[in-house]
Amino acid sequence: MGSYLIRRLARTLLVMLGISLVVFVFVRSIPGDPAVAMLGERATPEAAAALREQLGLNKPWFFNPANPLDAQYPKYMTALLSGDLGTGLKSNIPVLDDLKARFPATAELSIAALLVALLIGMPAGILAALRRNSIWDNLATTISLVGVSMPVFWLGLLLSYFFGVQLGILPPSGRTGTEFNVDPITGFNVLDALLRGQVAAAWDGVRHLILPAIALGSIPLAIVARITRSAMLDVLNQDYVRTARAKGLADRTVTMKHALRNALLPVVTVIGLQAGALLGGAVLTETIFSWPGLGSWVYDAISQRDYPIIQGGVIFAALVVSVVNLLVDLSYASLDPRIQYS
Amino acid sequence: MKKVLLTALLATLSAASAATLVFGGNGEPVSLESGNITDGISILVQRQIYDTLIDFEDGTTDLKPGLATKWTANANNTAWTFTLRKGVRFHDGTPMNADAVIFNLGRWWDKSHPYGFRDQGRTFEIVGELLGGYKGDATAVIKNIVKVNDTTVRVDLNKPSSVLPEVLAAGYFGIASPAAIKKEGAKYGTPASKPVGTGPFIFQSWRTGDRVTLLPNKLYWGEKAKVDQLVIRSIKDASQRLNELKAGTIDFANDLTPDSLKSIQADRNLVAVKRPSFNVGFVSLNNRNQYLKNQTVRQAISMAINKKEIAAAFWNGLAVSNASFLPPVLAWANSPKVPADYKFDPAAAKKMLADAGYPNGFSIDLWYMPVSRPYFPTPKPIAEAIAADLSVIGIKVNLKTEDWAKYLQDRNKEPGFDMYMIGWTGDYGDPDNFYGAYYGSNASDDINWNPANVETLLQQGRAANTQAAKTKVYQQLHEITYNAAYRIPMVHSNPLAAARSYVKGWTPSPLGSEPFNTISVGSKK
Repeated sequence: MGSYLIRRLARTLLVMLGISLVVFVFVRSIPGDPAVAMLGERATPEAAAALREQLGLNKPWFFNPANPLDAQYPKYMTALLSGDLGTGLKSNIPVLDDLKARFPATAELSIAALLVALLIGMPAGILAALRRNSIWDNLATTISLVGVSMPVFWLGLLLSYFFGVQLGILPPSGRTGTEFNVDPITGFNVLDALLRGQVAAAWDGVRHLILPAIALGSIPLAIVARITRSAMLDVLNQDYVRTARAKGLADRTVTMKHALRNALLPVVTVIGLQAGALLGGAVLTETIFSWPGLGSWVYDAISQRDYPIIQGGVIFAALVVSVVNLLVDLSYASLDPRIQYS
Repeated sequence: MKKVLLTALLATLSAASAATLVFGGNGEPVSLESGNITDGISILVQRQIYDTLIDFEDGTTDLKPGLATKWTANANNTAWTFTLRKGVRFHDGTPMNADAVIFNLGRWWDKSHPYGFRDQGRTFEIVGELLGGYKGDATAVIKNIVKVNDTTVRVDLNKPSSVLPEVLAAGYFGIASPAAIKKEGAKYGTPASKPVGTGPFIFQSWRTGDRVTLLPNKLYWGEKAKVDQLVIRSIKDASQRLNELKAGTIDFANDLTPDSLKSIQADRNLVAVKRPSFNVGFVSLNNRNQYLKNQTVRQAISMAINKKEIAAAFWNGLAVSNASFLPPVLAWANSPKVPADYKFDPAAAKKMLADAGYPNGFSIDLWYMPVSRPYFPTPKPIAEAIAADLSVIGIKVNLKTEDWAKYLQDRNKEPGFDMYMIGWTGDYGDPDNFYGAYYGSNASDDINWNPANVETLLQQGRAANTQAAKTKVYQQLHEITYNAAYRIPMVHSNPLAAARSYVKGWTPSPLGSEPFNTISVGSKK
């Protein structure tokens, strides 16, 4: 187990190094120049050239014959290895500071979306499997089909308009009401409000989470429901379930203890895969719901060609996905004792 | 636990009774450091914290005193003397005086200023754009900045300029506390720092990606703020800003799409607010193209486009169309000698095209912007309308677009775009800011047309001493550019804003942002 973990971590580090190189080349290969994007309508070739020079973007990428270390990649990697992700070209804010401020918001939203997906998707899937071909099954299958096919931004706008404007029962967007000012501890707004004893602010935070979590969670919800249903159906036909039933165990015990535990494995795999999808989906959800997370930040950076932010954002997202996948792999062992890592 | 609940409840109640004004911004500020940033939302927030030396009268582009009470030029407009307001203090208590003003001007203009932080990415590129360059540059407008006494600063110029006060009045150039900049160092202007000005609001906090909170400056030298708190939220999506307005979670907002006008008017809690127009959306024609080289062809194109119809169809009445490159408030600089517009006349245009040697027309690319701007809120359908108009006279238009960053770059590459849509929003109320930006020596070379007489006139305009002399110069520029028809002005739009009906005292500036100290919220309902 220990050596497995070390090997996995070493591999993750290699992957990260590879990604840093790929993203470095990739962002510089996107047509369009940060200096021009920053200057906007004002961009004249002369002004852009002057700005490019000042930002150091006119330097060679990998190797400067005059001064080997004075190229963009060696400089970037030297800084990166000491934990410095660079500074936003225009904002002058260290990328790491922005990451620290924004990641908790994205994580909070993603966890809430995952909860929505699991708390609704799993019971729906189980129900559909147990009552196969019933109206419940058809309903769950139809809803999950709709959930997968509905664009997130469209669903987000609909939810926001219906619950936020028409019914007026939930805030249309944002992370907290303007009347609340919770000093961050962990960066997770609801948790911080509770830690500081600001109950009203915590409740307000939860209310702000509901709509974006549903929008972001809609696709994973549908997938979780479908996977749970088919995994349950699979398991329910197995001999050991039949044996359990034959032994006279209660239906509930058979379903929850024998069948569900074994059906969970593919669901956990899906959750791991969805971690990446959640980060991707967060781009749209965060933009629609004015959620101050990573997604909309990196999206803006791409349209502005803000190289340090894009690089930092991508490397960080890759790190998160790697870590989540590692955790998923490790959790297999605890779910299924037959799986062992060595 | 009871005590906690009670405190929370009291906090909620007291927060509710305080008058908070909430603005829905179209994004988050890039930085709150003045002189270094040009995006709208950064300037809007800065405008609350900082004062500029000279200010604009509410809702106009006319100058009024700001931190300077008086500004005078020498006889040939080569030195400007600014008399500073006495007794004004920055939010940190330090005095606003000649040293402070020179510190600010110095770090923007002098590339070797110790507090310019240029080695840490500061660029101050707007100073180069509006003032011809930096200290020591051959093209720079400013030669030297001199302290006359504690409340008087003189700016010596390399060449005559009548527009220096106008430039320094632009929202970019808020005067910041030197003590604060020295204290915060290179992180000044980021969420981790505390920007300090003399303005009507004091910075309180900036939550990354979410909102900036400001408190009223109780010692403000001018009209004091009428609310207890000002919150500027970041709401990128225009339809979401409208949703928030309707839900009452924000009090007022900018940059709504023209097609939301009807929905705002139908809501009795909302008031639609038309920002005065200070922009121009236009189509540029490239001299490198074999057809567009021909002046008759260019004029025919202008005559074939039904600009009034397009303005009515895509701006919902929130735009005017006339022949001039200048927005309506600068109409005094238009020549009476050229008509109000190329008359929309497809038949005559078709004949002109035949006279030019193209009876069967030709095929050409029209590039439209991939982003929405106040001057072109929905570029693609507008481009389609232009294409439809041109097809009537036999010109086949291929519509093209690409990512905005690439678009801005490619328009300047040779041979460039044949025809493309672009626009401009002004910084200060002088025709130089429009003509200079697109026809001057600093302008982009996207149409391959830089006649010497235009540059001479632009310089004469900047040097002009009297309004009459200025008018004469710009009328000539209007005639030349009108006849040349390289840039076809389509519309001057009124950017759409809206407020809850209890918001009183908001007078939007044509320049895009204004201080919010005049606004009250009554008893919010």
